[in-house]
Amino acid sequence: MPNIDRRDFLKLVGAGSAGVGAGFMLGESIKHPVEYLIPHVVAPEDFSTGIDTWYNTVCSMCSAGCGISVRTREGRAKKIEGNPLHPVNQGRLCARGQAGLQVLYNPDRLTHPLMQTGQRGSMSFTQITWEEGLDKVADRLDLLKAAQRGNRVCMLSQGIRGHLAQLFELFMDQLGSERLLHYDFDHPHTLYAANQRFFGEERLPYYDLKNTRFLLSFGADYLGNWISPVHHSLGFGHSRQGSGVRGQFVQIEPRMSLSGAAADEWIAAIPGTEGILALGLAHHIVSEGHYRGVDRDDWIAALSGYTKSQVAEQTGVSADTISRLADTFVHTEPSLAIGGGSAGNHSNSVDTLVAVNALNYLVGNLGKTGGLLFNPEPAGQVSSARQASYRTMIELGEDARQGNIEVLILNGTNPVFTLPSASGFSEALAEIPLIVSLSSFMDETTALADIILPSHTYLESWGDDFPEPGVGFSIGAISQPVVSPLYNTRATGDILLTLAQKIGLSEAMPWGNMQDYVKGGWRQIYERGSLDTRMESFESFWTAILKAGVWGEKMHRDPAFTLDKGVIDTIGVQAPEFSGSTDTYPFVLHPYLSTSLHDGQGANLPWMQELPDPMTSIVYGSWVELNPATAKQLTLKEGDLVDIESPHGKIRAPVYIYPAIMPGVIAMPIGQGHSEYGRYAKNRGANPIEILSPQIDQLTGALASSATRVKIVATGRRVELVKTGGNSRELGREIVQTTGGKASHSAKLNSIPITEIST
Amino acid sequence: MNVSIVPALKTLIPAAVVVVVVLLGVVVGYWANAAFYPGTSPEQPIAFSHKLHAGENQIPCMYCHTQARRSISAGVPSVSKCMGCHNEVATEQPQIRSLLSYWENKEPIPWIKVHDLPDFVHFTHKRHVLAGIECQTCHGPVETMERIRLTSVAPMKMGMCLNCHKQHEVEHGLDCWTCHK
Repeated sequence: MPNIDRRDFLKLVGAGSAGVGAGFMLGESIKHPVEYLIPHVVAPEDFSTGIDTWYNTVCSMCSAGCGISVRTREGRAKKIEGNPLHPVNQGRLCARGQAGLQVLYNPDRLTHPLMQTGQRGSMSFTQITWEEGLDKVADRLDLLKAAQRGNRVCMLSQGIRGHLAQLFELFMDQLGSERLLHYDFDHPHTLYAANQRFFGEERLPYYDLKNTRFLLSFGADYLGNWISPVHHSLGFGHSRQGSGVRGQFVQIEPRMSLSGAAADEWIAAIPGTEGILALGLAHHIVSEGHYRGVDRDDWIAALSGYTKSQVAEQTGVSADTISRLADTFVHTEPSLAIGGGSAGNHSNSVDTLVAVNALNYLVGNLGKTGGLLFNPEPAGQVSSARQASYRTMIELGEDARQGNIEVLILNGTNPVFTLPSASGFSEALAEIPLIVSLSSFMDETTALADIILPSHTYLESWGDDFPEPGVGFSIGAISQPVVSPLYNTRATGDILLTLAQKIGLSEAMPWGNMQDYVKGGWRQIYERGSLDTRMESFESFWTAILKAGVWGEKMHRDPAFTLDKGVIDTIGVQAPEFSGSTDTYPFVLHPYLSTSLHDGQGANLPWMQELPDPMTSIVYGSWVELNPATAKQLTLKEGDLVDIESPHGKIRAPVYIYPAIMPGVIAMPIGQGHSEYGRYAKNRGANPIEILSPQIDQLTGALASSATRVKIVATGRRVELVKTGGNSRELGREIVQTTGGKASHSAKLNSIPITEIST
Repeated sequence: MNVSIVPALKTLIPAAVVVVVVLLGVVVGYWANAAFYPGTSPEQPIAFSHKLHAGENQIPCMYCHTQARRSISAGVPSVSKCMGCHNEVATEQPQIRSLLSYWENKEPIPWIKVHDLPDFVHFTHKRHVLAGIECQTCHGPVETMERIRLTSVAPMKMGMCLNCHKQHEVEHGLDCWTCHK
């Protein structure tokens, strides 16, 4: 037995304890980390763990009003798809609609009410409670209402429809204010006015692209941005491949858009002369005896100044092309002419679009399948009459300067970004004592607000929509929340209803919340329906619509149409007016809505930022498109940074050489150039709206956004354009081969005829 | 000349003794950890007995785990589901009082997960339940357990999945992407 003294014993005990400790920790370290299974306290009815639940609702990413189905799991929205039952998009959805999730989960969302504590624009906002915020606004409104000065309150909203629009009307009406305006940069004022003049109704007709055999589009990028692109794409697809006979399609525009690229023929007329070209076609149709209506003589008289040679000279489109187009338009049945986009953004645009309508009239496309169908009265509010034109916005600014506006409530619209700096709108805002914003994001206009009461996103709110343009019959859809609100925000309708309560309007606006209001409104739609066909109870009707996501009434309009004789006398298109002299400003600026960012609203969505532009494949930034000839003349190459200067300012962007644009025209996408609007949008690219001249269409007051002349000044600096495409030329590699029309029988393959320009 | 290494070794004895004692300590410590703080059968916030519910009272598994035949996850019953019975049954038991306090505070019970698969394994209950696999095949004889534990019959490891797939000749059952997708 060895001797163990006290010291050794203690050493051994120490060693043993250390061993035990190490062993215990070893055991602990190889254990699975503890995971918890947290059950519900009360299981919700409508979702089960691991199973997706789909909710149908309405897309609010643009004004088309597509129906969407949102996949949710465990109460979270996971994916947005098109609702197959919705007649507008029939299960399809565009990229922006898909990116709605990034509106919901955007890290730059406003999560609680804010109050500006410093100078306006200093961005020193502090968090306040909803009660504080609402009280501050309500107190001011109450004072004005009591003093019979309700008209000093202005509500400036993005384009809204349905019951929310109605609620806004009611609120402002009760307040005694007529200053309720909707403002969207891309609202087709001129199209509405042209339809008002020609058809006698200020509503968009249904363009039956699906069944047409020959489509003539004057500037309308209907596959990319024009009015209802998803529906039009469906129609285009069917017209091309769905019926056995391939529908023909010609696009007339100065810069090839996505639609232009899909066309059989792309024709570049001098900007602003699209209407003159349309009348040239009309002249050919009438003078060649293809039109035999009783008012033929009136037409001959009205069109006398639009002979082929005259029109060819003004538009730059050859006389042969004019007669060829006109003949095809007459002899292909059914045919359809549409107009919009850049053709709708000139000083003469109402006349231009009336001329396009006249073409449809002359060949009998009105009220005909494959032509232009009239929409019935929509079942809910479609307030295009509230849409503020550029002129109205200038007047609003003037009112503000004179101290006639004391409270401005903003809802989702961002005029500081979407109005040219020449409008002086942001300076005018400084004269308004109280600016309240209901926006979900810190956009440029919201940054100037005193109080921000952030709204829910559309995926968290109740509402409804009546798509404009309709689809030829009456439809509507309810927008329902698909997830619980993520943050301390409130639905726009609820904010308004609470304000109404606080200023004693609860008698006229008794609804507890937006859901009650929408449901009450749909009860009326239910009760209006005929007793034979309607469902047995309102509740089952309501549930059925929520489930289907859409409601429709097969009620078509009488296709008969008689033209007011007075209209024919007004036919005629003036030459377009441009601001800036041709000597100093040699180029016409053609700003176009970005397919992904639209008028800039999509710029805070990373998916949209990284989506390559369909024509140039550029991501994350702005660029200016130059014809190779223009670039050669200015000795510019791709990536050269240039200043684009108009009489009203200048912006900087890199050059992109684009063969499909007229020499003398330069194009820029709209959407970038934000100074606020979150981390993805901020300080990226340039905003061409900023430098637009305040040139308007005199009839509607709409901004003639394609009528600004600019010059290009090289800066000597270069950047690398970030794009997914390589060289856009085929360079003799025979990788993109086309067969040259009828000559294709000779089996001779031609590459796309783009002439290489040596630099 | 004989050279013995014994004296040299003798000087190492104290060090060896220390090493042996340390190793013994490690074994004891490891055992104590496994015996008293088992990861395979952790103590739950409420001592719920599957033996009592599923064994003696013969309540079917899917009475509480309702999602198993419909979803990828079997679903843990909501507190309200427990209260459905325990509003009336055994209300005086201390464990049920504990349940009641969760219910009254509207708090979920933080159960600790025992049968767990790594996140890179795609497993769906629905498919297996609908194929007629007994719950016990993977979860062990749950109806005999006072406290739920991982058993050696069903260690929740890849070998177990593959054996079963082989045995039943599951179509594509041995493909990697059947489970790892």
